[in-house]
Amino acid sequence: MIVEIEIDGKLINANTGEMVIAVTDREGISVPRFCYHKKLSISASCRMCLVDVEGAPKPQPACSTPVAEGMKIHTQNEKAIASQKAVMEFLLINHPLDCPICDQGGECELQDVAIEYGSDVSRFSEGKRIVAPSDIGPLIQTDMTRCIHCTRCVRFGSEIAGIMEMGATGRGEELKIEPFLAEGITSELSGNMIDVCPVGALTSKPFRYELRSWQMSSVESIARHDLVGSNLYAQTYKGNVKRVVSGDNDAVNETWISDRDRFSYEGLTHENRLLSPQIKVEGQWKEVEWDVALDFAIKGLNNNILNSRNLAKLGGLASNTATIEELHLMQKLLREIGCENIDHRLNVKDLNNTIHLKSTIKLIELETIDQALVIGANLRLEQPMINHRLRKAQLSGANITTLNVKDFNFNYKVDSHITSPNEIANTLAGVLKALIDKTKQELPEYLSEVMPSEQSVAMANNLLEANNSVLILGEHLINNAQASSISNLTAEIAKLTNSSTLNLTATANSLGAQLVNFMPNSKGMNTNEMLDADMRAFILLDVYPEYDFHHSATALNALSSDDMFVISLNSFGSELISQYSDVMLPMAAMFETSGTHMNINGKAQSFRASVGAPGEAKPAWKILKVLADLLELPGFHYENSAQVMSEVAHQSTQTHEYDTSIDLSKQTAMLETIWMHSPYQSDVLLRHAKSLSASQIGHMNTASMNASTAQALSLNNKDTYLGVPVEIDSIMADQCVFVNSNQATNTGGLQ
Amino acid sequence: MISDNAKKQINSWIEKYPQGKQSSAVMEALKVVQAENNNQLNHDLIQAVADYLDMPGIAAAEVATFYENYNHKPVGKHIIRFCHNISCMLTGADDLISHLEAKLGVKTGEVTEDGLISVKKVECLGACVGAPMFQIGDQYYENLTTDKVDEIVDGLK
Repeated sequence: MIVEIEIDGKLINANTGEMVIAVTDREGISVPRFCYHKKLSISASCRMCLVDVEGAPKPQPACSTPVAEGMKIHTQNEKAIASQKAVMEFLLINHPLDCPICDQGGECELQDVAIEYGSDVSRFSEGKRIVAPSDIGPLIQTDMTRCIHCTRCVRFGSEIAGIMEMGATGRGEELKIEPFLAEGITSELSGNMIDVCPVGALTSKPFRYELRSWQMSSVESIARHDLVGSNLYAQTYKGNVKRVVSGDNDAVNETWISDRDRFSYEGLTHENRLLSPQIKVEGQWKEVEWDVALDFAIKGLNNNILNSRNLAKLGGLASNTATIEELHLMQKLLREIGCENIDHRLNVKDLNNTIHLKSTIKLIELETIDQALVIGANLRLEQPMINHRLRKAQLSGANITTLNVKDFNFNYKVDSHITSPNEIANTLAGVLKALIDKTKQELPEYLSEVMPSEQSVAMANNLLEANNSVLILGEHLINNAQASSISNLTAEIAKLTNSSTLNLTATANSLGAQLVNFMPNSKGMNTNEMLDADMRAFILLDVYPEYDFHHSATALNALSSDDMFVISLNSFGSELISQYSDVMLPMAAMFETSGTHMNINGKAQSFRASVGAPGEAKPAWKILKVLADLLELPGFHYENSAQVMSEVAHQSTQTHEYDTSIDLSKQTAMLETIWMHSPYQSDVLLRHAKSLSASQIGHMNTASMNASTAQALSLNNKDTYLGVPVEIDSIMADQCVFVNSNQATNTGGLQ
Repeated sequence: MISDNAKKQINSWIEKYPQGKQSSAVMEALKVVQAENNNQLNHDLIQAVADYLDMPGIAAAEVATFYENYNHKPVGKHIIRFCHNISCMLTGADDLISHLEAKLGVKTGEVTEDGLISVKKVECLGACVGAPMFQIGDQYYENLTTDKVDEIVDGLK
């Protein structure tokens, strides 16, 4: 219902139940506040937003006063201003006013409001209180003497991060905001506490004492570590990203970003960055000018491939974190010279057996589902922003069921079913059969022998009863022995139950890669076929074989073979890359290039370069364009990446045919290993971000298995499995190992 | 960490609240475990209570540190809970507290060497009409003077 109210003499329409401060914010009327935050619950503890409401004997806090018909509010009259000034004086009593040495100085809500409402001279002559600092981890710096007890960080923890780690202990003058546990703050969203803190109590630790906010430029950008594409600002100074803060976009990340997106920039200045073009002459690396390196690359391609028209022996592989523009130019270059061996799917064990489900639900719609089935995902750590949406749904009553190998720590209530990788297809087949039985449809052949378990029947019933359900497939399924069947069963279940689907296996910019067809067509070879074929040359775009390939040992072997010519475009160098490459071309990393990222909803978000690339490094789209020019290929006349993108936008996308059959008889392995890079190791920039690596999540490095699996493998918790320390977990499925590792995959001999 | 007997008592409190609202029993639960631990709480006990009631440790710690009923340091057999809020302060509580400290040879928050008495400053106990006042066990002692304080303290065994 709409009510009419009057604020400062202006008639305004508002919705019943809305708080006064929401109306003033919408109307652009400034009301000072500290504890109020539009995405958090109302605490009304700071009292800074007091306004005068006609008829009320005392001033009312705008954040917790709902509007009512005919209400007359004054935000600037004598009574309101006097109340606000009085509150300001109280808030400043214990505040140290150490702005000159405070990192928040210049972007501090307390400072801003104090300029307007504070007094020049303090009447408080008693001693101020001091709160000893506590170390809460490598990401957040605390200076709790500055805290004004607004409790935004406490509410953020319990309401958004879903684990209450900060709290207000003590009372009166002894009141302190602090964590209870010695580990400090461990949430994957913890950095948002820095953004919500209105004072300098919680600031960015890696950014400590670096710069003043006004010295930096803020450049809008897009996070590329996951398939959400969170909006953020890269704050830069003299060509370096100094800090990242979140941006607002309700359809994507609301106003939050994950720690992964916030602190990855630290990797940009790591000493391992590849800074100059290098060529290998008679086994020796030489730093050279760009034109020499590019000529060398072209000559190598001519000698090994082009002169003999031996294009079947050339392969092009790219990381799925690359931009759409980079991927488009690379496939265009390869296809122009007649090469069809193109792929971005590096971490898939069997490319004829893949998850290829479409994602049919918008991120924002995830909040309104009433039933979800999550299969093979540790959502909190793998997709924090998607987990956050699902958490909201659960808190408003949705039923979330999980099928996982391990009892992962969800920050909301889930109905957890511990299921072995080789049971998942059968469980889903049971669900499908139960659904078909209920709806009295014809039973397909492949389901004839399936006996739905009680659990499957219950899942089927839940999905049928739901109005708005979603089926979510996670990254743990990528290399499941029955991946393709799982994908197709899920699609069938979705059809019968009218459920949406969400495919989280399309990580980073995978959808962008599919958009520009960065995959082999019927004539070409896929990644694994290329690794097994006797190739003569590869072009690699930001590929780090020891982490990126599932078959990393095979990949390293293939790349290192004697007569192989490898052109590596990389943002970081490594000993391995130097071993197998013949020419290394330094490319711009995230934040250093313009481009476009496509998120899970097919939303293409373009960004410009926040900073220039260091040393001689160049944006990869430019490197690829010049390579194409040197090869005298037509159609590469681009002046900027936007022109590349507009070409992509005008192209029709190729649809790929996937195997839609369901085969439950397929033999599964006795022991399944699910290998996941730990969340802060999932791409090369993250692997070089030192504060993230130092955090608790960054330290994750375990091979989890239950006692009977350990016994079967003759391992105990002092041993390692594939080089990763063993952890015996009592709540885990049989016959499987779940690895969450910060190590390279080539070391242990993963099959 | 929590004894069976304590669990039984806590459960009887949990039953008084609607299902799923077991954390409402946190104050009583803390009291129960404190009573079994020499009238004192510690980090692990607070965490144990939180785990038992399925609530975050910090949320239980907020309660345990807000109320004066909970002790985080060793206490004596008798705890003199001296009110120092406005009515008692205006009627001389601070002088009486100093007197008491001098008499016992301890500061507020400490225990006498024989472990008999500890002194604690607490917030308003709702007996302003008899200010200045303190509480020992379940008993209020009001309209205190130095003589009266001496007499009461000397009578403690």
